[in-house]
Amino acid sequence: MREPTFLILTALAEEPRHGYAVIEDVSAMTGGRVRLRAGTLYAALDRLRSDGLIDVDREEVVQSRLRRYYRLTAAGERSLAAETARLREQAAIADRRLRARRTDLGGAPA
Amino acid sequence: MSEGTYRRWLALYPSDFRAEYEEEMLAVLMSEGRPGPAQFFDLARAAVAVRLRQVTGSARWRQAAWLTQTFGAILLLALALRHLVTEVAVWDSQELFGPGLSVSDAVALPQLAILARVSGWAVVLIAALRGWRLLGLAGAVLGLGGQAVAPAQLYLETPATVLNAYWQLMAAAVVLAAGVVAVRGGARTRGLVPLLAAAAALVLQAVMLLRWFSWEIYNGLPWVALALAAVAAARQEPAMRPWLLTWAAPVLVTVPLVRTGFDGFIEHNIRHPEATRLLDGFQWTALVLVPLAAFLFMALLTSRFERGRAARAGGAA
Repeated sequence: MREPTFLILTALAEEPRHGYAVIEDVSAMTGGRVRLRAGTLYAALDRLRSDGLIDVDREEVVQSRLRRYYRLTAAGERSLAAETARLREQAAIADRRLRARRTDLGGAPA
Repeated sequence: MSEGTYRRWLALYPSDFRAEYEEEMLAVLMSEGRPGPAQFFDLARAAVAVRLRQVTGSARWRQAAWLTQTFGAILLLALALRHLVTEVAVWDSQELFGPGLSVSDAVALPQLAILARVSGWAVVLIAALRGWRLLGLAGAVLGLGGQAVAPAQLYLETPATVLNAYWQLMAAAVVLAAGVVAVRGGARTRGLVPLLAAAAALVLQAVMLLRWFSWEIYNGLPWVALALAAVAAARQEPAMRPWLLTWAAPVLVTVPLVRTGFDGFIEHNIRHPEATRLLDGFQWTALVLVPLAAFLFMALLTSRFERGRAARAGGAA
C-alpha cells in the first residue's frame, strides 16, 4: 500500500470526511510533510471506492457546490489494520537493529 | 486561478470520472489556493493514471492479452520454422555438407538465432496454454533475442534490415508484453483452426523450396496466411475484437510507418551503398513511440467504447 493510500484510509478511520477535510487531516497527521493534491486525492478515492475500501457516506451542497463525505468500509478497515500491522512489524525490526547497533558501538553514535 | 482554467485541465480526465468528481475537485482546487505548475502536473499525472487504470481494469483486455500471446506465438513460431526450413533448403541445394548428407542432417546445423526463435516461441505457446507465466516470459525473451540477432548483425552493413524486420520485432515485443498481463490459461479458444491454417501456409512457403516451386503460389501464400489470420480474429466474440485490434495496433502501424516515414532513408542507402546512413535518434524514437502511441490510443478508445456500452446497458436495465 502506497503512503497516500495509507494516509487517506487513516484519515477516514476517524470519521467520514469530505475531500478537502482529508487533505487537511493528512497534512496535520504528517506535520505538514504530506499535503495531498486534488489529482492524487481523487484518483485514490476513485480507486479505493472501486476496490470497496471506502464508500460515500453522504452528500451535501455548500455554497452551491457538491460536498461528498467518504467513510471507511469493513473491507477498508481490514486492509488498514493489515497494513498497520505490517508497518509496525517492520518498524520493530528496524528499532531492534538500531538498538543492537548502538550497543555494538558502545553507545556512541556512528 | 480561475475556475475555467481548472475545468480545462479537468477535461484531461475520462468523461465518466468527470461526471462523478469534477464538481468536488473544483471545490477542493478553489478552496486550496495552490495554483502553479505542480498542481497542474499533479492533475495531468492523475488523469493519465485514471485512464490507464480504466484500461487495465478491464477483464477483456487481459483475456485479449492471452489470445494475443497464444496467436502471436503460433504465428511467430511458423515464421521461425519458415526461416529454418528455408535455411535447410539453401544448404541442401548448395550441397554444402557433401552428397552423403541428407536434409535431416542439415537440420542439426541451423544458426543459433533461428533455434532460439523456434524454441522460444514454442515455449511461449506451451506456457500460454498451461498458464505458466514466468516460463512464457522466458520463452518470449529467448524468441525476441533470436529475432533481433540477424538485424543487429546486418545493421551496420545494411541498415534497412532493421526496418524490414521491424514488424516481426514489434510482434515479438507485443507477445512478450501481452504475456505479462495475460489471464492464466485463457478461456476456450475460438478461431484456432484458421490461425493454424495461416501458420501452415507460412511454413508451406518454405517447404516449397525443398520439393516443388511455383512463384505464383510462393508469393500468394503470405496473403493467404494474412486472410486466414483475419478470419481467426473475426471469429472472436464482438466485444473481444477491439481489444485484439488494440494489441495488434503496434504491429499494424509499423507497416505504414516504415513504408511512408523511411522511404527516403531506404532510397538513399540503395543509391549510395558507399555511404550508407544509419538510423538517427529521431528515427529510432519514432520507431519506438509511434507503435506505443498507437497502442495507447486504441486502448483508450476501446476502453471508452466498452464503458459507454456498459453504461447504456445499465441504463436500459
